Amino acid sequence: MQNSLITINRYLLSIFKKKDLPYDLSNFTILVVEDSEHMQNLMASMLKVFGVGEILACANGIEAMDLLRVLQASKKSKYLTSVDIVLMDWLMPRGNGEQLLAWIRKSEKDAIRFLPVIVVSGYTTEYIATKSRDMGANETLVKPISGTNLARRICSVIDHPRPFIKSLDYFGPDRRRQNVGYKGRERRATPAEEVKVKNNV
Amino acid sequence: MSDRFKVEMYKIANRLKARMGARYKDQEEGFLAPDVIEEADKLIAQLCEISPDVIGKHLDNLSALWESMRDTPNSPERTETAEKIFTLSHEIKDMGSLCHYELIAYFAESLRDYIARTDLNLKAQVVTIQAHLDAMQICHRKGFRTDAGPEAEELKKMVKMAIDKYH
Repeated sequence: MQNSLITINRYLLSIFKKKDLPYDLSNFTILVVEDSEHMQNLMASMLKVFGVGEILACANGIEAMDLLRVLQASKKSKYLTSVDIVLMDWLMPRGNGEQLLAWIRKSEKDAIRFLPVIVVSGYTTEYIATKSRDMGANETLVKPISGTNLARRICSVIDHPRPFIKSLDYFGPDRRRQNVGYKGRERRATPAEEVKVKNNV
Repeated sequence: MSDRFKVEMYKIANRLKARMGARYKDQEEGFLAPDVIEEADKLIAQLCEISPDVIGKHLDNLSALWESMRDTPNSPERTETAEKIFTLSHEIKDMGSLCHYELIAYFAESLRDYIARTDLNLKAQVVTIQAHLDAMQICHRKGFRTDAGPEAEELKKMVKMAIDKYH
């Protein structure tokens, strides 16, 4: 009798343990940078139904830089919340995505330069995906957007915070996403003694 | 960066997960509830319901911008107007592809990429931009969606001829 109760308990525990909860984004603040009013409204509304706590919006990169300077400052009003994720369009007049991303990654403030950035691009070629990756974007979302795609990118940024790499010509998330076996000649590795690791930044 | 180290690696703490609370600590892969994703897709569908009107207004603005650019070839605002045409074309392309007006999206993208080239002379612009505008107006008026089929091919051919004439 006792043994069967233990078995049932274990079974129930395993069920509860396996049941994953959908993410709760109510403590998140996401900044949307998009010049098109319709697209900006759409993305903000989608984030709202995703349960994002606070959604901020800017029409171009210049506005976004001004806002981030204030919100990511180490000393600021307690009523201001820091931005957790930036969702930015690539093509915008007055400070486009490329300029904004470069500004973020070159910032001296950790609260800005380590910000997760999702680039939303209307270009259908791979050019923007490669370009934004090489400039330090965490994720790229090619338009047209869908609920599934947007949710997937947000979850990916939460689930896989890749280490940041600083080299002579790059600063941003590690561009090597997968740790898969490669049998050819190693062409990219920097010897371990030449890599300085800073933990828990 | 010091001379000794060629690369610095910053292993960052997962603050985003921490923000959601302890209950997600052991969850490796996350997801959003399917009903909220469905709700988000409904928002796209709602926007698409009004998209013909939005695209129509964008096309009117585009025509007005183009007319002012065409009629004032020596205006100092020419570059600014070209930028506005670029932005508006990009918006039409976004809206078109979001709401499955693929043919309009095709011409809008083509116009956006064309206007981005600064070395164009007015004569070439008159023919090429006008051809793009005409093609988009026809698509909008007749409700053409797909970028395949005889009508689509005919319009594409017309625009291509206009582009090729000066290149």
